[in-house]
Amino acid sequence: MDLHEHKVLIANRGEIAIRILKACRKLGLEFVCVHTQEDHASGHVRLARGLGGSKSLYRISSYHDANELMAVADESGATAIHPGYGFFSEDYRFARRVIQREREMIFIGPSWRIIRELGDKINTKRLARSLDVPTVPGSDRPIYDEMEAEELARTLFNFQTDNQIRNPLVLIKASAGGGGMGIEEVHDPDLFRSVYRRVRNYAARQFKDEGVLIEQRIRDFNHLEVQILADRNCKTLVHFGTRNCSIQSTGLQKRLEVAPGFDPSSVSYNFDAAGVLEQIIRHSLNIAHKVRYDNAGTWEWIVTREGNPYLMEVNARIQVENGVSSAITRIRGQEGVDLLVEQIRTGLGDPLGYTQEDISFEGVSLEYRIIAEDPEQRFTPWVGRIERFHQPEEPWLTMHSHVPTDEPYDIPTEFDPNLALGIIWGRDLQEARGRGLSFLKKMILEGRTAQGEPMKTNLEFLKKKTGDILKF
Amino acid sequence: MDTDKKFQQIIEQLNYIRDILAGKNNENLRLLSSRLEDMQSRLPSMNQEERLAAAESLDDLFSFVEKKLEAELTPMDKVRIVRHPQRICLRDILENVYDNYTEIGSMNEHSIDPAILIARAYITRRQGKKTLRQSVMVIGQEKGHGEEIRNGGSVKPWGNAKALHYMKVAETENIPIHIYVFTPGSYPIEDTPGAAQQIAKNIYEMGSLRVPVLAIFSEGGSGGAEAVGLADKRLMLSHGYYSVISPEGAAAIEANLKESKRRAPAELIEDCARNLCITAEDNLRLGYIDEIIQEPVLGARCHNFEFFRQLRQDVLRATDEIVLSVRGIEPIRSMSLRARRKKTSEGGLNLETVCMRWNLSAAAQERLLDLRHRKFRALSQKAHDDTRGRLQLFKDHLSSFWWEFSSYFKYDLFRRSQQNFSNFLRELHSETTFFVKKQTVPLRRFLRPLLPLFRVRRKRHLEEAKLTALSTWEEPQEQRGGNWAYVSPRATDDRAISCPNAATHGCLDMWAPDLFGEFAGVCANCGHHFPMEYKWYLYNLFDPESVTEFNTGIEAINPLKYPGFDLKLAKASAQTGQKSSCMTFEASINGIRLVVAMFLAPFRGGSVGAAEGEKFILAAERAGKKRYPFLAYVHGTAGIRIQEGTNGLIQMPRCTMAVRRYIDDGGLYLVVYDTNSYAGPVASFLGCSPYQFGIRSSNIGFAGYGVIRETTGEAPPPHYHNVFKAMARGHIQGIWDRRETRFNLYQAMLTMGGRNLYYQ
Repeated sequence: MDLHEHKVLIANRGEIAIRILKACRKLGLEFVCVHTQEDHASGHVRLARGLGGSKSLYRISSYHDANELMAVADESGATAIHPGYGFFSEDYRFARRVIQREREMIFIGPSWRIIRELGDKINTKRLARSLDVPTVPGSDRPIYDEMEAEELARTLFNFQTDNQIRNPLVLIKASAGGGGMGIEEVHDPDLFRSVYRRVRNYAARQFKDEGVLIEQRIRDFNHLEVQILADRNCKTLVHFGTRNCSIQSTGLQKRLEVAPGFDPSSVSYNFDAAGVLEQIIRHSLNIAHKVRYDNAGTWEWIVTREGNPYLMEVNARIQVENGVSSAITRIRGQEGVDLLVEQIRTGLGDPLGYTQEDISFEGVSLEYRIIAEDPEQRFTPWVGRIERFHQPEEPWLTMHSHVPTDEPYDIPTEFDPNLALGIIWGRDLQEARGRGLSFLKKMILEGRTAQGEPMKTNLEFLKKKTGDILKF
Repeated sequence: MDTDKKFQQIIEQLNYIRDILAGKNNENLRLLSSRLEDMQSRLPSMNQEERLAAAESLDDLFSFVEKKLEAELTPMDKVRIVRHPQRICLRDILENVYDNYTEIGSMNEHSIDPAILIARAYITRRQGKKTLRQSVMVIGQEKGHGEEIRNGGSVKPWGNAKALHYMKVAETENIPIHIYVFTPGSYPIEDTPGAAQQIAKNIYEMGSLRVPVLAIFSEGGSGGAEAVGLADKRLMLSHGYYSVISPEGAAAIEANLKESKRRAPAELIEDCARNLCITAEDNLRLGYIDEIIQEPVLGARCHNFEFFRQLRQDVLRATDEIVLSVRGIEPIRSMSLRARRKKTSEGGLNLETVCMRWNLSAAAQERLLDLRHRKFRALSQKAHDDTRGRLQLFKDHLSSFWWEFSSYFKYDLFRRSQQNFSNFLRELHSETTFFVKKQTVPLRRFLRPLLPLFRVRRKRHLEEAKLTALSTWEEPQEQRGGNWAYVSPRATDDRAISCPNAATHGCLDMWAPDLFGEFAGVCANCGHHFPMEYKWYLYNLFDPESVTEFNTGIEAINPLKYPGFDLKLAKASAQTGQKSSCMTFEASINGIRLVVAMFLAPFRGGSVGAAEGEKFILAAERAGKKRYPFLAYVHGTAGIRIQEGTNGLIQMPRCTMAVRRYIDDGGLYLVVYDTNSYAGPVASFLGCSPYQFGIRSSNIGFAGYGVIRETTGEAPPPHYHNVFKAMARGHIQGIWDRRETRFNLYQAMLTMGGRNLYYQ
């Protein structure tokens, strides 16, 4: 089937739906959008109506209902589904269903086996270790035996003391847990047993599995990512450089991302930063090769103050911050790279068409996540009506937002209150930082709650943090 | 006046005959009624003497015709005799057979259950000047000549519990138990305790009652009869019936009237009564009762005093015989028994003047239990087909002997000495290490300064490797991440399945390949369990390729030649490839071997007949000999197979006694219910296990909705039988998620069970 005959169902909302939609237009593909009742005023709905007419829009009751999405796909004759991020993007069952149902379609994302393999953190860690990729010191399989757990914890404490770590910490997590449940840290070897038992009992009750993971707790680190892209069957595999996503909210949600991951040319590090970047890229590609990765994906790393990188997990999907990588990437010297376009194109079976030698990097890019929240109050989400939303226009700025600029907008309470992404590019860190600050200054975002209280945003927080970027 | 009374009696007699024939057009009946009418019309014109003569001739005619009718009684007529309000009931027997009695815990409606009657009674025997009062515990259902409170002798679970309690009392007091069975069946309610639960408990306990038990059957209705009817000697009144189901119930099933309000036609009920072989003669022929007590023509009623005298003799003789069969030394015992039997039959022995004690010594009690066990073990042997060849049978016998023999050496003898031996080795080891250490002191003193350099570096390296290098992970046997060895064929349909709880729990529809594949038929949101095929368990529960089936040669047949049943059996066999609904095999879970009896719902609803019972018992015996745990996996069972009649019903006590023996010998008997498990099997050999578990998809109970509504007149509340209710009733001991069944079974084998398991 020719690339241009495809019709893509965009199974997502908001900012990412808009970007996928635009990418489809760039490729000349037909598209179908879905939305819920609450989202009827969202930007992606208006854009879809404008570009594809009302026949390209379907109302569904939930973005989480696979059956409805399948029904929309069949009704509209879609041949591929793009899940965006969140929702079904890392659900290997959904990916499997898309390609195994009677009317087969293409799932724009890695194949389901890869999603399943890399979706399991234990599995990923073991895979990494089997390839000599560094991972966080600790167990790589669930521990069921108390003696074994204690022995391991003792070794971990000794290991940290040997490495001159001042307050050694050990983390106990339920191996079957997730979303931060069933995780506790231990600072004293003597307390280990009681904490271990507590976590184990919690896990047995909550997840019906007594297994726990025991790891070193690393407190002082930078969060780095490697952007990977491959075409189907992993014929060509390239990377789009690194990102640094260390500036996060208290709930460890990313707020400000930068590409590249470190900038040794203008910031000094007490380790070989260029070497670390080179190392994590090499390891990431290594794993991608091993699993025959076949779409866009992100390898998440933490780098300690000593410059030790550890693989955390693999996100087998497109990410919010893909724009910063696009902004610094040049293919055969050309700018205007769009990772989403590349993802959709290769996902539909098009060969990549270039190799790593054709890719070069230029400048520094930042992404601000503008969110209605109160950084003073532990980033509590703010809900209300946005009355004024104005985004400055600059050649070095790309904005992604589903918030309308010409009419008031009620923030739906069902989803996360991500309002806009501002992506800035500069020739170097200095320029990017300056442009970032001027963007934040010009940005206008005002609103009120139903009680008349003024809107809370994280603009000030972002301004404050802009000075710190890429510094360890 | 006298003749008036006489006529009145004759009229009543005619009405009784009419009731029994239930409107059947019978020429004898017509003759009787026309003669009676004729006589009555002529009566006013007759004088006293003529009246008397007329009454007498009418009486003669009646006795003549009654004898004729008696010869023509159909099984259904006998059912009507037994159910007639004029039929003798337990109180009549207590009044007329025993010399004195006190009812225990009943004052008409002020009783825990007026349908059950318990009395301490005694019979006085005189030999010369010596008088002997022989106490017995009399237990039975009281029909009370149709009193409403008696519920027709249908006993509620707590009534059965009371019966069991007083059986235990009799055991403590070491007096015989006389049981009179007058029940159409048990009252089908599931409240605490459930009917099935209590009956199972009764049968389990009665299997090892250490006193002589004599049962007399008048109306032996299914589970209600089994709840009290397990006895060393079972006598039956000649007009009684003993059946797996009431003829009406069988007819309703036959005519497929499951939920409808219609009644089965009378002819069908008659046919069913005949086909089920429920009469005393049938049951004697099949071996399920030992003797028949002859009743007067057209059944015993309260005024048949001659009958009560006869009954007293039979009861005395039977109890004496039970006691004699186990008392004393073997050759003398059987000789005296034989001589006595001969004497009694010749009428030379007056039982009233024989003094004999009914209490048993400890050794005699052991013999009694053994005899009881063997009696039931030997029943229903002709009701199944054994296609194992002679060679196979010989091999089976040989290996069974070998298991017994080797288990004795391996586990009983060797293990004890092994303990001593290993203790000795341990001591030896510590002694030698001490000695060696002492001898090498100078050498070590020399090496000590050099060691640390070498050791620390190596140690640190090793420790770091432990934290950062790939560890070996012996993947636990249970399949991780829904990677099942067997996947249901339903997992190939491209369709979405709705969860029945969607409305209340907001479950989204699931894609069939996900639901029946990876999710193992469990709703991902609310945990609702969709039923799965038995093969799913067969291949996912046990270690791969560890399943070896045995006794496949024992096949279900149609022992009563029940019309049309051969065809149904053949169909079930063709559909499932099985020859009975019970599949017995050995398998292992994480290396622990066990014996499994699996009841398969697709074969005739998983119903239990003689073949299934035999296979089950053989499996239990095999587990006992090999010291393996024994698992009854009930994928589903609809109850006892009614087409086999009493051949099926008798499996309740038979199988229960087999597991009782297995448990008493220190085994581990686990029961796991999966889909729908009802009636007989649950009320006996399944329900008696101390370790019963339900998969969340299971429904457990005694009778289905329709039967409960029909019998009690009230519709049971929703989800009456589901696994959570069964747990609340204390019937089962745990509720298992299907995906964790394997793990839970393994856990159960490690933590539960008796002293005689090979791996402990």
